[in-house]
Amino acid sequence: MNTSTLMKQLAAIGMVAATASLAATAAQAASAAKVIRVLSAAGADAASPDAAVWTKAPVAHVALQPTPSLHPSIVGTPVTQKLTAQAVRAGDQLYVRLAWSDRTANTAIKDLGQFVDGAAVQFPVNGKSSTTPFMGDANHAVNVWQWRADGRTQNLVAKGFGTATPVPSEGLKSAHARTGDGWAVVLSRPLKVKPDEGASLTGKGTMPVAFAAWDGANQERDGFKAVTLEWWQLRF
Amino acid sequence: MRQLAYVFDLNKCIGCHTCTMACKQLWTNRDGREYMYWNNVESRPGKGYPKNWEQKGGGFRNGVLLTDGKIPPKEDYGGVWEYNLQEVLLEGKGNQVVPHEKPTWGVNWDEDEGKGEFPNNHFFYLPRICNHCSNPACLAACPNKAIYKRPEDGLVVVDQERCRGYRYCVKACPYGKVYFNLQTGKSEKCIGCYPRVEKGTPPACVAQCVGKIRFVGYRDDKDGPIYKLVEQWKVALPLHGEYGTQPNVFYVPPMNVTPPPFEEDGRLSDKPRIPLADIEALFGPGTKQALETLGREMQKRREAKPSDLTELLIGYTNKDRYRL
Repeated sequence: MNTSTLMKQLAAIGMVAATASLAATAAQAASAAKVIRVLSAAGADAASPDAAVWTKAPVAHVALQPTPSLHPSIVGTPVTQKLTAQAVRAGDQLYVRLAWSDRTANTAIKDLGQFVDGAAVQFPVNGKSSTTPFMGDANHAVNVWQWRADGRTQNLVAKGFGTATPVPSEGLKSAHARTGDGWAVVLSRPLKVKPDEGASLTGKGTMPVAFAAWDGANQERDGFKAVTLEWWQLRF
Repeated sequence: MRQLAYVFDLNKCIGCHTCTMACKQLWTNRDGREYMYWNNVESRPGKGYPKNWEQKGGGFRNGVLLTDGKIPPKEDYGGVWEYNLQEVLLEGKGNQVVPHEKPTWGVNWDEDEGKGEFPNNHFFYLPRICNHCSNPACLAACPNKAIYKRPEDGLVVVDQERCRGYRYCVKACPYGKVYFNLQTGKSEKCIGCYPRVEKGTPPACVAQCVGKIRFVGYRDDKDGPIYKLVEQWKVALPLHGEYGTQPNVFYVPPMNVTPPPFEEDGRLSDKPRIPLADIEALFGPGTKQALETLGREMQKRREAKPSDLTELLIGYTNKDRYRL
């Protein structure tokens, strides 16, 4: 997506004020190639973030920005500024590994004001970059794979802001590990799923993908998160 | 949209907590809700439940949703302790009934403390439920559209299917009446006993009220007690209307029926025992007029003259108090 497309999409969803302030960021972001090469490794076990195959998969350095605030409740600045993304295809399975810095592991909600760390991978259900990366819209759904540090993984479909709804997700799995200063997480799913279970990844040369991270210590949840403002491309 | 509403007559509340127990038994004694009191009765002046809820922030200012609200920690609601009743009373083990943890704060912790030194002390009871606001801050704050007002009665409910536990509603409710369930990871609140209301039965807290202080009905029912007390007589007032949520629980403010305070020389003061400003701080600028109206109508009865308002407030039968 080029910068002007992004601006149009933001304007279309009522983000007129945010549009101007984002212009500079988006222009910068648009200038760099946003491609993640998927390593094909038939038979490889990539389920663990510590699996050997991840030393071979190309690493993409992904810059994250605060989500444009689409709701008056959502205030504050998310902490995470970047993550690394890798992808491995093994047979009919796609594995995505994300790693980022987060010094405090927030893995459980023990008191009423606590939140857990999280990360997510998002795809347009129609496979097209013309779908807005901001949770899609009424006619263009997005599929979100969300990992939470309490071990829960959720498969969500959204058709616009505030519409994220859990859908069946038998094939969606996650694994996580603490690294020196943060998290490494692998989300995986069969390439092909039933139409109501999210985005199909079969037969694609490239597939748009977006990322998000939540820092529980900063009370980040929901739209209070660090995201990619534009689609990246998974290149199979 | 029809709007169900309540009037609580604080002059009739005896602080027995039967409303609280009715609600707890029916809705909140299990499944992660143990710490919740959808209905509570607090002594005023006092810190209330959750502790210092009036300082928690939330609500609206000039129609704009405030985002300064806090999510109170567990300790502000208080512990959920159990007693060793079984062991001591039935099994003969030990000789003292004690809680299983040392309580340091709980619902109703500061009961009857009030304000001032004897003999010039004072307090009154303030029963609180969700206000089922016409402009609910919890609803406005939810980015996930999980909270809605039921079109048939205006009761505010959290859709447990849609809720994702973000707790913006807990932050936003200036009354501290939305609760996060640590067991389910979702937020919950008073549901106005809608399954009962749908059958024409008043909510449990209303039906069980020993002092018969609670009136329930629809705002637009001109023959009902709510319309008469709120709109016609203007003796029932919203709690902290300045929070901007347009609450639908209205309170008949406490009359100073106890003797005035003593002056230093032992004479009775000409000031009221509960300072008017304290009551106005809760119920707003309509307080003075409401108290004057109540005083005038009560005086009529003392002079053996009829008073429609006092008849209404006595509420002899369920039919007089409930119009569902």
